[in-house]
Amino acid sequence: MRNRKAINTNNEDITNILPEECISYILSLTSPADVCRSKLVSPVFRSAADSDTIWGKFLPSDCYDIISNASSSSSSKLLTSSMSKTQLYFHLCKNPIIIDNGTMSFGLDKATGKKCYMLGARRLSISWANTPRYWRWKRVPESRFSEVAELKEVWWLDVKGTIETKILSPNTTYVAYLVYKFSSSRYGFEKKPVDLHVELGESDAGRTFRIFLDPSANIPQFSREREDGWMEVKLGEFFNEHGDDGKATCSLREVDNYTPKKGLIIEGIDIRPKDSR
Amino acid sequence: MSEVDMAVIKPEMMKSYIWLQTADGLIQQVEQEVAMFCPMICHEVIQKDMGSSKNYAISLPQRVNPAMLSLILDYCRFHQVPGRSNKERKSFDEKFIRMDTKRLCELTSAADSLQLKPLVDLTSRALARIIEGKSPEEIREIFHLPDDLTEEEKLEPLKNTTDDPRIRLLNRLYAKKRKELQERQKLKNIEVEEERVDDRSVDDLLSFINGDNGDSKGIKNSKSKKKNRRRKDQQKNTSANEAIKNHNKEPNGLNQVCHSAEVGQKVRAGVGATSNLHDVEDDIFDNKNEPDDGDIDDEIDPALKEKIDREVEDFARRLNSDWPERMQEILSFGHERKPVHFSLNGNGSLRRYANSEQR
Repeated sequence: MRNRKAINTNNEDITNILPEECISYILSLTSPADVCRSKLVSPVFRSAADSDTIWGKFLPSDCYDIISNASSSSSSKLLTSSMSKTQLYFHLCKNPIIIDNGTMSFGLDKATGKKCYMLGARRLSISWANTPRYWRWKRVPESRFSEVAELKEVWWLDVKGTIETKILSPNTTYVAYLVYKFSSSRYGFEKKPVDLHVELGESDAGRTFRIFLDPSANIPQFSREREDGWMEVKLGEFFNEHGDDGKATCSLREVDNYTPKKGLIIEGIDIRPKDSR
Repeated sequence: MSEVDMAVIKPEMMKSYIWLQTADGLIQQVEQEVAMFCPMICHEVIQKDMGSSKNYAISLPQRVNPAMLSLILDYCRFHQVPGRSNKERKSFDEKFIRMDTKRLCELTSAADSLQLKPLVDLTSRALARIIEGKSPEEIREIFHLPDDLTEEEKLEPLKNTTDDPRIRLLNRLYAKKRKELQERQKLKNIEVEEERVDDRSVDDLLSFINGDNGDSKGIKNSKSKKKNRRRKDQQKNTSANEAIKNHNKEPNGLNQVCHSAEVGQKVRAGVGATSNLHDVEDDIFDNKNEPDDGDIDDEIDPALKEKIDREVEDFARRLNSDWPERMQEILSFGHERKPVHFSLNGNGSLRRYANSEQR
């Protein structure tokens, strides 16, 4: 049984041997998840773990460049410029910033420090999206983007998003999710399954999965609710090695042309590192 | 070179030595090229003209004891030879750092004080590999650290960086669970820390009494204050005990609040570690049918307590939807590890695919 009456003069205690800066340096060689855990080890570890040298290392190298590209209308630009590296890291994990003229959001995955992006609906290629009879664009307060796409009615549903692998973190398996919800008057998605597909670059054929987006009672549900209140469904995944594979293309389609569909509201496509769970 | 050869060589070509003195007073001489590999020693020799004789031995920093100096010099002696290949150096390094953790730490510290960056990197990486993936408990075991974070420090690891409401709610959940665990422990009559626990329980009592609802922000710099706090508490103990009785609190129950060691094992409130929320998720399942623990929040006023309880339930619900993959597994698919995709055969019947990697 571990001796809980630890004596303070214990000369085995690492914190009597190593100065805090050394501990910070050692922690910076681990991972963000490890550093967060280490805050629970001892007061010295806790203090060492808050060092900017650690979190500065975990921020992506082009992080500040990306932020400077943020929409000038967003207050996040002002906020992030005054933050320490530690604060910035945790801020980006919780609060993605809008970049690229409001069409994309950028954030970090807390456990790994890898980059996450969401392609806004305006950035996607949605067939017939500009025809008001079929799709409507509207503002909703619960979206991070200024507009989301709402399906009025369509037979040919084809939603596609692409992302350049060079902006993603290297040596990472990414998963793409369609972020959506249904309006009260949805129709068609319980009748016909949709095709979900992700492929990488020119050569990769990728895999297609077919699922019901709005399954009836005894059919498995593949969508789940997100923290921000939207739903998400996994479109597929891909491995980004060096960022030189061109684009990753993610799509959702139902193009058999027999079933009218309505009531799907799309916020965008969320691309983030695969959980190691 | 053999001794005979050395006798033939002119004195100017003899090896020159640097004199070093460790903190314990021991003086030794070291070959110049070896010692000069350390930036700190190099600086002393060049800038301050030290080390040329016994009387002017360079005083090494306190962190460099003779054993560590010997190791460091071995390292320098090998690496200062210019002709070695990268492979040789790497091989040497791998064998060199095979030592117990305590020595690794001492070596890191000593190398750091001599500003020998390559060695600091080598040992730091070795220590980082040891720390990676381990729980706080395991790290404490490895480094023989006392478990002396207060439970508040343990439960609010990110308080300093972002005021994350999720963490706060997580803490409430944990506090609730912890209380229950301790009630059970109490019944089992497990050995409890005496003086130390009393001290800290008094602190908590006093802070609760004084209206601090556990969101104390002054923990960050408490490390150095901790020793003083304990000493003061010895005196406070008796008078505080009276105060406790007067306030009609339950001293025993609150004593247990500080006994975080056992709980620390189960209740790992680290953020970013998936295992932690895993534990919480288990907690949520365990707690579903537990009776409401009325006295857990008796330090907090009832209106706030209600609000907190509501937040906790709300948070538990959100956590459930936050981990849908696992939830789906547990609730819908039973024993299946991953969600299974279905597709329609030509005749319209469902067919199963296992969901696997895209590539």
